[in-house]
Amino acid sequence: MSGMIPGGWGFVVAAYSVTAVVLIVYGASVIARLRSEITRRNHD
Amino acid sequence: MHDDNHRFPRLPWIILGLGIIFLAIGSYIGLFVAPPEALMGQVQRIMYVHVPTAWNALLALTFAFVCAVIFLFKSDWKWDARMEAAIEVGVVLGFLLCCQGSIWAKPTWGVWWDWDPRLTTTAVLVFAFLGILALRKFVEDPGRRAIWSAVATIIASVDVPIVYYSVRWWNSLHQLQSSPSTVSRQFWLPLRMNAFGILFLMTAFIMLRARVASMRLAQELVPPPAVGERV
Amino acid sequence: MLTAALRKELLLQWRSRAQFMAVFVFGAAALLLFSFAVGPVAEMLRQFSAGFLWLGLLLSSTLTLAESFHAEMENRAMEGLLLLPANPRALYYGKAIANWLQLTLLGIALIPVMVVLYDAGTTRIPMLILVIALGTAGLSAPGTLYAAMTAQVRSKQTLLPLLLFPLIVPALLASVKATSLIILGDPMNQMRSWIVLLASFDAIYWSLCGLLFGNVVEE
Repeated sequence: MSGMIPGGWGFVVAAYSVTAVVLIVYGASVIARLRSEITRRNHD
Repeated sequence: MHDDNHRFPRLPWIILGLGIIFLAIGSYIGLFVAPPEALMGQVQRIMYVHVPTAWNALLALTFAFVCAVIFLFKSDWKWDARMEAAIEVGVVLGFLLCCQGSIWAKPTWGVWWDWDPRLTTTAVLVFAFLGILALRKFVEDPGRRAIWSAVATIIASVDVPIVYYSVRWWNSLHQLQSSPSTVSRQFWLPLRMNAFGILFLMTAFIMLRARVASMRLAQELVPPPAVGERV
Repeated sequence: MLTAALRKELLLQWRSRAQFMAVFVFGAAALLLFSFAVGPVAEMLRQFSAGFLWLGLLLSSTLTLAESFHAEMENRAMEGLLLLPANPRALYYGKAIANWLQLTLLGIALIPVMVVLYDAGTTRIPMLILVIALGTAGLSAPGTLYAAMTAQVRSKQTLLPLLLFPLIVPALLASVKATSLIILGDPMNQMRSWIVLLASFDAIYWSLCGLLFGNVVEE
């Protein structure tokens, strides 16, 4: 029937935040590693 | 020829930007424009990121499998670098999937983990491919590292359907399993947008990460200069 | 070629039978620890006896598998060359079969321990032995391959279980389920499906790992 799950917004925000955080942190880590590889290559 | 390794690559940036745009718009629509679903209420909105993450995690790991097979046949270092990137991105997306699934399960089933076969298989996969990343860290010889992790990737990938079916059978004996309701037609827009968003992000990540792996490999394969010699 | 390899492996195992005793004691100790972890509730212990048996076997298998390439490692210096036999496939299957036999023996030896500690008796012993054989075959095939890899690497003790455990989840599920059905009864006749799952897993991995083993040891 129509059973709405109460208090859903908290979980929705949590899910979207976790997604954003994981993607941003991982993306930053890849870019940082690439930067350091390029600087190392440029100094060789 | 090595010029592009001295500057920052342009194409992945463009794809990355596209990904962020699509994901932002798709999430906005999913959060504020799409109506709440009849049975699950607001919690349904989690599906708008969960399903796209699932598609792309699977895609990343499938690509890893393809890279592994190609590497074993062609012995081209490019494919080893791509495989390393694909595995790492796949693990990150898989881990994210488990987090999202857990957050979805709590309000829906009342527990933080409901042993859903797809999610459980993902968890097993994350461990399996994390193990392969660990293997890569501990093997110093690049050739051996590449071959062994390619073999391990093939073995793990073959296991995926087996794990899925065994967990599904195992789970069905204990629980009246109802999978999350398929998203009805009118809500497909945020789903598609986020799917492309994460697809572009994933592609950009794999391209950048593969570049990192290639550069590190190039460093490893060049013999070090003798003492006192200028490079 | 294979029989020669197999004979050599079995001889090696016979010579190191003290090691087998040690692994058996380890397995039995693990089963004992599980009962301490759960508590002296007979009914609950009996419910989970199949799970405990297979967890104990799985943990013990890491010891057995890690040891299986010991002889090869002892004979070469630390630079990482595996002694190449004429036929790597024979080496693989010889070792895998030897490991399988040792694990099956271990499983059978643990049955009385399980019966006593968890009150998990059964009259269907042949069936139980069949399940143990099929399950340990599932552990042995990928386990032997990964043992070959990790024998040459530092941190091998952690890498082998790390690689093996996620992989053998289907075999573990099926073996525990099948064993549980033997001990607790099988009113809905589910045994066949689990046996089929185990047999398929074994068939797939015994062929796949044999195929890929050459890549693992070639130079």
